[in-house]
Amino acid sequence: MLTTTPGGTWLVLALVVPVAGVLLAMILRGRHAERIALVLMPAGLAIAVAIAAGVMATGGPLSYVLGGWAPPLGVALRADALAAAMMLTTALVIGAVGVFARANFATPASASGARASFTFWTLLLAVWGALNAVFLAGDLFTLYVALELLTFAAVPLVCLDGRAETLRAALRYLLFALLGSALYLSGAVILYGMYGTLDIVLLSSLIRAEPATWAAGALMTAGLLAKTALFPLHLWLPPAHAGAPPAASAVLSALVVKGSFFLTVRLWFDVMPGVPGDAGAQLIAVLGAAAILYGSVVALRQARLKLLIAYSTVAQIGYLFLMFPLAFDQGTGQLESGAALSGGLMQAISHATAKAAMFMAAGLMYAGLGHDRIADLRGIARALPVTVIAFGLGGISLIGLPPSGGFLAKWLLLSAAVTTGQWWWAVVMLVGGLLTSGYIFLVLARAMGATDAPLALAGPVARSREWITLALALVSALLGLVALTDLDFLQIGRPVAGLR
Amino acid sequence: MSATVLFGLCGALLVGLGVYGLIVQPQPLRKILAFNLLGSGVFLLFGVIARRGAAAGFGGDPVPQALVITGVVVAFAATALAVALLLRLFEVSGTVTLRADDGEGRDA
Amino acid sequence: MSTPSLLLTAALAFPLVLLLACVSRRVRARMPSLLVLAPLPALAAALLAVDAPPLAIGRGALRLTFILDYPGAILLGVAAFLWSMAGLYAATYMRGTPNHGRFTVCWLMTLTGCLGIFIAADMAGFYLLLALLSVGATGLVIHEQTPRAWRSGAMYLGLALAGESCVLMGFVLLAAASPGDGLLIREAVAALPASPWRDLTLALLIIGLGLKAGLVPLHIWMPLAHAAAPMPASAVLSGAVVKVGILGLGRFLPLATGLPEWGIALTAAGLFTALYGVAVGVTQRHPKAVLAYSSVSQMGLIVAVLGMGLTSGDVSAALSAAYYAAHHVLVKGALFLAVGIVAATGARRLWPLLVAVAVLALSLGGLPLTGGALAKYAVKGPLGEGLAGTLANVSAAGTTLLMLHFVHRLRRSAAQDAGATPPAGLLWPWVAIALACVIVPWGLYLWVPRGLVDNAFAPAALWSALVPVLAGAALALALQRWGRGLPRIPEGDIAVVIDGAVRSSIALAPSFVRADAVLRRWPVAGLAMLGITLAIGAAFMR
Repeated sequence: MLTTTPGGTWLVLALVVPVAGVLLAMILRGRHAERIALVLMPAGLAIAVAIAAGVMATGGPLSYVLGGWAPPLGVALRADALAAAMMLTTALVIGAVGVFARANFATPASASGARASFTFWTLLLAVWGALNAVFLAGDLFTLYVALELLTFAAVPLVCLDGRAETLRAALRYLLFALLGSALYLSGAVILYGMYGTLDIVLLSSLIRAEPATWAAGALMTAGLLAKTALFPLHLWLPPAHAGAPPAASAVLSALVVKGSFFLTVRLWFDVMPGVPGDAGAQLIAVLGAAAILYGSVVALRQARLKLLIAYSTVAQIGYLFLMFPLAFDQGTGQLESGAALSGGLMQAISHATAKAAMFMAAGLMYAGLGHDRIADLRGIARALPVTVIAFGLGGISLIGLPPSGGFLAKWLLLSAAVTTGQWWWAVVMLVGGLLTSGYIFLVLARAMGATDAPLALAGPVARSREWITLALALVSALLGLVALTDLDFLQIGRPVAGLR
Repeated sequence: MSATVLFGLCGALLVGLGVYGLIVQPQPLRKILAFNLLGSGVFLLFGVIARRGAAAGFGGDPVPQALVITGVVVAFAATALAVALLLRLFEVSGTVTLRADDGEGRDA
Repeated sequence: MSTPSLLLTAALAFPLVLLLACVSRRVRARMPSLLVLAPLPALAAALLAVDAPPLAIGRGALRLTFILDYPGAILLGVAAFLWSMAGLYAATYMRGTPNHGRFTVCWLMTLTGCLGIFIAADMAGFYLLLALLSVGATGLVIHEQTPRAWRSGAMYLGLALAGESCVLMGFVLLAAASPGDGLLIREAVAALPASPWRDLTLALLIIGLGLKAGLVPLHIWMPLAHAAAPMPASAVLSGAVVKVGILGLGRFLPLATGLPEWGIALTAAGLFTALYGVAVGVTQRHPKAVLAYSSVSQMGLIVAVLGMGLTSGDVSAALSAAYYAAHHVLVKGALFLAVGIVAATGARRLWPLLVAVAVLALSLGGLPLTGGALAKYAVKGPLGEGLAGTLANVSAAGTTLLMLHFVHRLRRSAAQDAGATPPAGLLWPWVAIALACVIVPWGLYLWVPRGLVDNAFAPAALWSALVPVLAGAALALALQRWGRGLPRIPEGDIAVVIDGAVRSSIALAPSFVRADAVLRRWPVAGLAMLGITLAIGAAFMR
């Protein structure tokens, strides 16, 4: 873990390739940004597959030590099964978003259009690179830098259209995220002061439960929760995700919030598994349950489709945090990696793919109708059937119907709830599923409503965009079938060898 | 009260002022300034830790100093981005309030 | 792969392939004429592949397994036949109506789910097919897109999803208590009596599957959905789809181990449902609503049979229940299709049709020498001679009453034009099912060497079957004479309670939105952040 393993070079490439793309785009400018991005996407996907294959083959994490300097002085990159799975999802979603966005951001009709297009592609690569850094970084400070990179790359994506309200939303997002990261950094300061290292592996063996650790943990967790927009710290998310262009919303909702969530998982499961205790885990899950209930109800009351999907993200983020008390082992007093963690991760992956598909579908419906008022969606199912089917498939994954990834996640989490005897979380999950089905079927019912005459589309909708949306939704809706294969997907949650 | 404790308290004070400003002040420019105060406070804390971790012969632990430099760059980038957004907002709308005007999400 | 396994695979795969082929618009347009073919592999499997080796798909822990045992085979066969004939009926019925592409997609989804569940042997597959079934059936219910159809569909889907949540939780508990990693139903149910969560598991499974079967008070979706769907869809919904709940109960109840308290509770619920369905059914005007309440009542009786089997640890109760259910599948399907035919028939041609319908209807009440009498005799064993048996006889009388009421309302709904004749495409499938109603129960009685029905021709048996029928006929005459004063109960009776609950919860929602406006103010969120930091820190300290 503190040396470079064979296959570690892939980790470096995973960081270098997107960043090189960003730099190249800034040098070449103009339409080249799009071309560079579209060339690098398959390359990035290949790198993610290689990392995943390497982790599965060796059965343990891949690591790479920068410059040959071992921690605590140097910085290590590590990829365990958790990171590999997230990187694969990221590569997949970004690839799909790239194909989808070609129509929106391909031909710059005006100077501002050209600037928006160039900005979008460059930022897409930057978000990708930052996400890879978040998944791979092996010490808390590199994680801070990666998190900041992610925020800086994501914020301008919100205000690409240049209107005042999206600029306000972007500024609100940035300032709230900065408050969160300042809290995170102060927690890291305290940890360094106590233990003299910030490397995750070293820290996990040194950490003790004492007031300074409690304070540091609380600060870091609160900061990360602000960036993940967990209730009640979600104020920035709905206007930001609803105001961004559809391709950007897809990336923001699907991937960017998962970055800080992943960091929370790393912090709680790998750095300080014995610190939170049952009370801490239950508290964070209470916030999650409140997010599910609140987000779903408010989503039901929305008049605009993109805001409904944004509030649905607020609700689904709550699901991710339900896994913490389910992973808590009363015997050892620690958070154990196992079925609950696999379930939480499966939930994250299936939500990423489903939500990206839903935002893309909403964008297509907006392009077809000229608006996204839910009450006036009648006739869109006849005009854009593939889009509505994609939305429905994404919804099926969110509700948790088989054979979607959401169902597999729900099964794992419910099993964990039964074996640990925490019934209330099972009830929360089932109620959440019902509420989710409420707003999904609300939208589908409106979309399938019949009009007297066939709907005249307000603008052309390219077929390739519909099909890539459907493809991504199918990935989410069929993700549960991975349980039928030999793939030991539960390995995702197993403790990394040598980590403790 | 040694120097390190004094600086530590100073850092904590800055953090407090920064958090207060960031939460309470309604105008974005003041929030940005408050964030910078907050950042300075955290970096000062880092410096205190560097001093406390000084081994024999060194003035201070070099690792936190490296971290502070990185942090300063990050904070600078953050401030630059925020100010750029603010200027653009002013250009487009003529005001710099974060309060939404269509009733969606009243916040200061 | 041997022929039986091939047939099993085809039974599930063929409708699925047709469903996927509907992606192409041209195939979708031609599909209504192919609907009759979709269940035929399943019919072949039911006839030829009973007790074949299990079919397994996939290799992981959640492997899908399919098995065909006797109760499943009986239900699969009759259900496949009903689906096929109803598909033929639908091809004519839906001709010229808009959105028949959507109709066929939903039809195929429901078909796949329904037939698949009859052969599902593991919990993941069961749940998957149950979900497919519910979503497809909702599409069928809301097909006509009238406000009534939307309301019924929303009620159906909401309750179906709630029921599925209970079933899912029950499955998770079953899987947690069963040894080993697999999800086979048989192993899990065998381990159920010894499970630490036995009562909770049974409660959840009974609530979830009972909802699908229509136990009171979870039956409220049935009259709404079955009355609002188009005619062929109502036939399969009331005929085949409700049997999914029955089969589920038969599979998941630990009938081998006797659980007296649960058995008695289930029997009581079933018998109450049987009588309740009759009581509310006689107040209904629309023939489809009357039939729907009759389905509620009959399902209650079948559940009571299973309950008695659970009380005494009698495994053959599942087979008896399946036999009874099979008869009901055919008869109820035929009666629903008859409603559509009568609506297209004028007074001149009505009487032969009406007589045939009356015979079929009365067979539900146990008219001697019909399949219904055989079915009633088959369940006499598990029901026993005590209170349950008596109440079952009362319910038979009630069913006769209800069916005579149905025939009376049906006569009122004939076409205005006296010379109208129903199209051949509607009539011949109906004739086929009507014939099957007579042939199949007698065929099963003669062929299945299981001693289902000991001696159906004994005079005592004939007399005991006749008494409830006569009693019901007498009550029907009374209803004719004095029935004006009966209260008008809306379809779905206590569904109005749900309407009220939904309305009041909708009224709560704006307060959430107002709270949202407050929570999203910056000072509030900032303070919340600090508050959470302190709270987490305090939680860590414990």
